[in-house]
Amino acid sequence: MKWYLARKLLLYLLTFVVAVTIDWAIPRLMPGDPVSGLIARLQADPTAAQEMHGYYTESFGLDEPLWRQYLNFWLGLFHGDLGPSIAYVGSRVTDLIKTAIPYTLALLVPAIVLSYIAGNRVGAMAARRKVLDNTALPVSYVLTATPYMWLALVLAYIFAFRWQVFPVSGAYDFALQPEWSWEFAKSFLYHWTLPFLTLFLVSFGGWAIGMRNLIIYELEADYANYLQDLGAPNRLVRRYAYRNAVLPQMSGLALALGAVVGGALVTEIVFGYPGVGSLIITAIQNRDYFLLQGIFLFIILGVLIANFIVDIAYVIVDPRTRTGLQGS
Amino acid sequence: MSSRKTRRVGVVGLVASLVSLAVAASLMASGAGAGPQAAFAVPRNDTLYTSGKQWGPYTNFNPLKPDYNTGIVGLVYETLFRYDPLKDRFIPWLASNGKWSGRSKYVVTVRNGVKWSDGKPLTAADVKFTFETQKNTGAQYGTMWKTGLSRITTRGRTVTFHFRGVPNYQEWDSNRYTVPIVPRHIFRSYSARELVTGNASNTRRIVGTGPFRYGGGAGSSQTLQWTRRDGWWANAIGYRMPMRYIVDIHNTSNTASLQNFLQSRIDLSNNFFPGINRHVGRGVGTYYNRAPYMLAANTAWLVPNTTKKPLNDVNFRRALAESIDVNRIVVADYQRIVSKANPTGLLPTWSRWIDQAQVRRLGFSFSIARARSRLASNGYRDRNGDGFVEDKDGATINLRLIVPKGWSDWETAIQIIADSAKDAGIKITPAYPDFNALVEERNTGKFELVINNEKQIGNTPYTYYDYLFRMPILASQTVSNFHRFSSARTWSLAQQLNKIQSTNVAQAKRVHSAIQRVILQQLPAIPLWYNGMWAQYNTRYWSNFPTSTGNQATPSTWNGYLNMTGIDALAKLRKK
Amino acid sequence: METTESTETVVAGTVVAKTASAEPQRKRSETLYFALRNKKLVIGLSLVLFLLLFAIFGPMFTDKDPFEFYEAYGEPPSKEHWFGTTSPGQDVYAQFVYGLRSSFIVGAVAGCVAAAIGMAVGFAAGYRGGVVDEILTMLTNVVLVIPTIAVLIIVSAYLTVGSLLWEAVLIGVTSWPWAARAIRAQTFSLVSRDFVSLARLSGQSGWKIIVKEIAPNMSSYLFLTFILLFGGSILIAATLDFLGLGPVEVMSLGLMLNVSVSNSALQLGMWWWFVAPGVGITAIVAGLYVMNVGLDEVFNPRLRRT
Repeated sequence: MKWYLARKLLLYLLTFVVAVTIDWAIPRLMPGDPVSGLIARLQADPTAAQEMHGYYTESFGLDEPLWRQYLNFWLGLFHGDLGPSIAYVGSRVTDLIKTAIPYTLALLVPAIVLSYIAGNRVGAMAARRKVLDNTALPVSYVLTATPYMWLALVLAYIFAFRWQVFPVSGAYDFALQPEWSWEFAKSFLYHWTLPFLTLFLVSFGGWAIGMRNLIIYELEADYANYLQDLGAPNRLVRRYAYRNAVLPQMSGLALALGAVVGGALVTEIVFGYPGVGSLIITAIQNRDYFLLQGIFLFIILGVLIANFIVDIAYVIVDPRTRTGLQGS
Repeated sequence: MSSRKTRRVGVVGLVASLVSLAVAASLMASGAGAGPQAAFAVPRNDTLYTSGKQWGPYTNFNPLKPDYNTGIVGLVYETLFRYDPLKDRFIPWLASNGKWSGRSKYVVTVRNGVKWSDGKPLTAADVKFTFETQKNTGAQYGTMWKTGLSRITTRGRTVTFHFRGVPNYQEWDSNRYTVPIVPRHIFRSYSARELVTGNASNTRRIVGTGPFRYGGGAGSSQTLQWTRRDGWWANAIGYRMPMRYIVDIHNTSNTASLQNFLQSRIDLSNNFFPGINRHVGRGVGTYYNRAPYMLAANTAWLVPNTTKKPLNDVNFRRALAESIDVNRIVVADYQRIVSKANPTGLLPTWSRWIDQAQVRRLGFSFSIARARSRLASNGYRDRNGDGFVEDKDGATINLRLIVPKGWSDWETAIQIIADSAKDAGIKITPAYPDFNALVEERNTGKFELVINNEKQIGNTPYTYYDYLFRMPILASQTVSNFHRFSSARTWSLAQQLNKIQSTNVAQAKRVHSAIQRVILQQLPAIPLWYNGMWAQYNTRYWSNFPTSTGNQATPSTWNGYLNMTGIDALAKLRKK
Repeated sequence: METTESTETVVAGTVVAKTASAEPQRKRSETLYFALRNKKLVIGLSLVLFLLLFAIFGPMFTDKDPFEFYEAYGEPPSKEHWFGTTSPGQDVYAQFVYGLRSSFIVGAVAGCVAAAIGMAVGFAAGYRGGVVDEILTMLTNVVLVIPTIAVLIIVSAYLTVGSLLWEAVLIGVTSWPWAARAIRAQTFSLVSRDFVSLARLSGQSGWKIIVKEIAPNMSSYLFLTFILLFGGSILIAATLDFLGLGPVEVMSLGLMLNVSVSNSALQLGMWWWFVAPGVGITAIVAGLYVMNVGLDEVFNPRLRRT
């Protein structure tokens, strides 16, 4: 167990180093000068532009030798400083991300966990009941195949624009500012529903299909047949099947994380939800490479942590590793 | 068995609830830390919701730095004058009076009884201090110090600006209504660099003379809230803001804004909504109730690189101009919410300076036949039978026309331009490089054709002449003369105009006419259409928005428009 | 604790990796029999084939160009414009069929690239074992953890992606890891089989054994993997195009969606402009997934429901 987790940790550490390096290298390998773009947007007069160019190049540290920039990048990272934002001159990238991240997590975490639980349940039921199999499954196929943004747009149109039961965009009412209050919490939940539903529905479909197939697969396995021949009650057989099916579903969870994160980004964009996704689109539109870099790092970090949590959960659930744990 | 199962769910559930808890806590904490907040929801019928200006976070509270947050200049910080582009007149604002004394002294009387929102009176020292901050390197309005302003003196309530030689009157006029006056007692503690590049974002130190004070929201908050303040000096001259709050909504996407707007969550939207004309009259208002619906805010130019063949040939440029069916762009791309530009490219607001007779005589107009014959008579013929003309020396012509990637209305526009020019035998290939790459190409003169509309409406066409003719041409052209049109004579004409006061109408008109002749004959850049001052009103909670037949004001919260007549637009709104 | 490196995973609802390892060499006719009786396969395959044919032949039925402007601004479907027009007057049918074509091209190219890399890495790691395996597995896991879409967003933000092919290659290069991992596991289980040992004894080179002995024995599995990569790539491409990071010179369903949304097609009542691309993408991908599960059942008797 310890070894297993240590190995995993090492892997994640390595991944992180690689990701940071890629992240640092990409903007510097690409053509075009981010500072010129920034100044073009400010529409300053030529003499001022020249002075500003020098000033910004210096303040972004772009005038130093490459190895030094790389080192600075790591140093900054350890200090929680990802540099200044280009599009929003004067703000630090870290601060921008810090305010956005809670919103993204508030969408992602419940969506992942609830869709996983519900999907597995419904999938397992579908494996049992023919009626459900013929209704829930086709719907699930369509749901997993739907691009996140399209589902988001359709939900927004129907529920927010046509029927007006949910708000169109944002994370809370325009009349409010974030604060500790019931009014804010209510408004927050109300605005959270549709984007959450988008993420939930798409992931739900995938889990349901996966679970259904795994259970059927397990029910045909030798041990299941053997148990049945012994006259074990059906419920017991199914329980075994379910438990065996949960393991691959769990490693699937780790694989699916990247896709769900991608889904959350576009969903946020559609709903104007002030999370990391919306930040990414503003960064793209304003060619704010520092911000993009920072977001990328945060996403990697988040996915790594999530992976690690899944790993731990896996160890706890998997009887094989558990025995190993007790043995050592 | 079942204990195992519950344990599994238990683990997942525990992790989930822990994370959610942490999320909730950090969310609220991040909100609670954002400065003084209104601890209540603002009442709908006492609030004006605006949108369309802010695309980035509400970071910049510094009025002296470009791209400040919505309302910073206008609602909080005010200018000496305001300028009404619709009636072409200056409105004394923080200055009760301003006039030239002799040829090179401009004397301003600071209005009596104006108080900063912290209770201190506005003084001549504040004005002097503000203008002197612009000596700092990189300052936004720094040009005035480089082109003639030499010193500022004060005496009682008067401030005197001393110029060397004949002042650049036209440029100075724009400073009169664009430079926001800041409180010396607060801003003097900022370093020179902070004044130029800082955000002045300590919300307790947002102290202005205007009708509103800071209410809430900053950084990546969804909204920025302004609260009406008591004791605004302009109450004494009949201005009164009818709304207690103005809440500006950060734009996430045009679609989200449109949905919110149509559902009356936004009252005044300055977003670009192609197709909004379908809703005009049904609870939605615009400045004009028929095409072009919007006032003109700037001119979109087709900028040719005049140093490259065949664009260096004026005959070719003219044929190109004649080959473009701008009406198709107006109708198909913009659904008539823009209008075709005058051949001089000057905005309708400057019509009194446009020599219309000369335009009729020399201006180009769309005609494929004329373009074809012009090309043929100047040696541009289709030698290889591919349907496109070749250069005089037989070289193929394939012009690359660029717009920034993702600017969808312009992407469509250049497709139409290419399509239209094809009929005249001119081959244009649309391309969509990313914004930075485009800027690089444009500034360094590597491009062939580009669309640009960076010069906004203002008090004088001089800004457009400067844009078209500025000399010398540098290795990198950052704001003007991207087309690299080199004519020392025309540039000196523009300089001559700069030194003529607008009140000297006859003399000014002569120079205007001479410069316009160059535009019409030489076509340094080809004016296409007027981009709109996008503004649509949802009239459910507020009425009496600016219209062409009602109160004529600039209905915009974009930077630079409140200090035109945006303030009048707000003050004249009526609660429903 | 190698035991926890589970070999089976679920991607898009398909049980990957457990399926084919014990695949017996069945008679072709038997497979066909089950294939034709499998409702999922028949439905999925017909949907995908229909769309493919539509993409290939659809453009032949119209003389309209997807980028051409017609004098019909935002008009609903009609005899002249079968799927209606966009607000600047482009033909939605033409955009749709050409967009469909792009989707298939991106899916195929990206799928091929990813499958090729995945196979190369998976075979090498699974067959060689030892240090090669350690290194390749490490590499796979590193790339696996980094979310594809995040990498693609940051790369395409810098590189102006100007062509479909470019976009497809980028997607392919970043989405291979799970395939590599699954193929490695499969190879692992096959390497210990008699026929492989026999081939080894006969002195054949490693790659020859992989190509001649191992790959054919998991061909159905490789095919399933390819289908999943194909469908996944289409979704990723659509997302990139929607964000405005894809090529704009070529019509694609994602680009259609992007333009229709930025023009508020839905809010202004032009549903035909919005519905077409969304339904197109969903139909292709759903068809592929359903077909995949059907195939899975055909190849793998244990999954067939009695």
